[in-house]
Amino acid sequence: MPEVFTLAQTPITSHSFSADRSQIAVSLNSNDAQILTRQGTEWVSTVTLAEHDKLITSIDWAPNSNRIVTCSQDRNAYVWQEQPDAETGKLVWKPTLVLLRINRAATYVRWSPKEDKFAVASGARAIAICSFDPENNWWVSKLLKKPIRSTVLSVDWHPNNVLLAAGSADMKARVFSAYIKEVDERPSPTVWGSKLPFNTVCGEYTSPAGGWVHAVGFSPSGDVLAFASHDSSINIVYPGGPVIHNIRMPSLPLVSLVWTSEDTIVAAGHDCRPLVFSGSEAGWQEAGTLDDATAPKSESRSAFGGGSSVGRLKTGAFATFRDADSRGQTSSSSTTSDTLLTIHQNTITNVRAYDYSGSNVSRVSTSGVDGMLVIWDVDAVSALTARVGGAHLR
Amino acid sequence: MDTAFRKIDIDIYDEDVLQESELYEADPRDPAEVLEDAKQRAGHVRSLLAKNDIPGALTIILDNAPYGPNIDDAKIITLQTLLTILNTTKSADIPGVIKALSMDTQDTLMKYLYKGMAMPGWGDISGSVLLGWHEKLTEVAGVGCIVRTMTDRRIV
Repeated sequence: MPEVFTLAQTPITSHSFSADRSQIAVSLNSNDAQILTRQGTEWVSTVTLAEHDKLITSIDWAPNSNRIVTCSQDRNAYVWQEQPDAETGKLVWKPTLVLLRINRAATYVRWSPKEDKFAVASGARAIAICSFDPENNWWVSKLLKKPIRSTVLSVDWHPNNVLLAAGSADMKARVFSAYIKEVDERPSPTVWGSKLPFNTVCGEYTSPAGGWVHAVGFSPSGDVLAFASHDSSINIVYPGGPVIHNIRMPSLPLVSLVWTSEDTIVAAGHDCRPLVFSGSEAGWQEAGTLDDATAPKSESRSAFGGGSSVGRLKTGAFATFRDADSRGQTSSSSTTSDTLLTIHQNTITNVRAYDYSGSNVSRVSTSGVDGMLVIWDVDAVSALTARVGGAHLR
Repeated sequence: MDTAFRKIDIDIYDEDVLQESELYEADPRDPAEVLEDAKQRAGHVRSLLAKNDIPGALTIILDNAPYGPNIDDAKIITLQTLLTILNTTKSADIPGVIKALSMDTQDTLMKYLYKGMAMPGWGDISGSVLLGWHEKLTEVAGVGCIVRTMTDRRIV
């Protein structure tokens, strides 16, 4: 059974757990980030990270160095570090400003695997690769610019700490070299290339029907790239050929994905439930969903499923307008409920690895526009055959 | 509130503006070649319709359909031929026909349904026929098919 927490009545823009999973950093659609601490089945706000003066767009908590990086529409990023306060000696989170040198909003941030660099995607057609300059005691950035033609929506690091995948609103998913001479050792050759000076473009891929690339992700080995785009499809790229497997879905687009093993991906988005894809270089397919909509879980869910076989179109807003049209009803007093059959009640915007067993991810966490945080067991895949899901037309 | 500023074309002040043509791969064929191809397909479709092979006719006309700029004639011939197929199909046959199509063809069909609905009164477009096909196509291919119609810049 998934663990479900309602953190807020507002959207959760981004979430990231601490290494021991006892704390979570979230931004609740505001200029501040909150650190929540788990107390039993509740998450209690313990710290507010207030420094940004526009909406925070992304948060990442580095597990080993215990540093939090936040980025925002105010075009800045801050690295937060827990340090003893000069007067009281208590541990407090202190921000350090990062010089991003971008003239549009920062959209997405991720620490590199070694946590000595992080990448900030932005609306300025650039990705800032930031590394620490010990001489001046601040974070400096170097910009990946070419050949990005529009806003970068997501990034993901290759396990070798050098390659970076980026998904962009110019309909392309790219693999770049983010090699920083002062920080990185010379990387050994990978399937993506062997000579890798900064800003080398190792690959550029697009989905057949185009669409903004919302999410990118390297497989655990780093040899395979997956990206989800707004044409309701997910693409898995093997760079050798290159062989690209495109899976078109009958449902709404995915906006976030995470690899759970070398042959499995969990992805979620506007369809409000996490889907599981599995395969190998020979082929990929949709394996099912983690959200078993047929299981009776709560009163509201079973109350809704009943007679409606066509899903969401006959409920919620649709029913409101239909009743207003045909019966002159304006209040929401009708019998139809606007609760979806899925656990998440709105778009899922983040999927992240939560727990590992060996090298594979055993649980993932999702958060979304409905203010909920859900932790799912990756093995609990149920088939999509019973498509009574609230988010489906059929 | 003054909203005139919203109408200002800010792109003309941007030297590095993103062009429509950068968003998709152009059709490598020459416009004349595309037009010739469209005419040939229209003939092929007529013979298939005579044999009552609706899925075959749809596949012929929708496979590799003309897209992009400067080929308006080919697009019109294709639309016209497609409308003939849609209008002659009995509504009871539609679900079976759609299930026989490939996913690519289903996506292209959806593009044409929206194109047709955007041109009311043109040629022999019938709104009720298009809506009938739209309903059945959505049942088979899902809302994902509509999403692809909206995102794909290879406009038919």
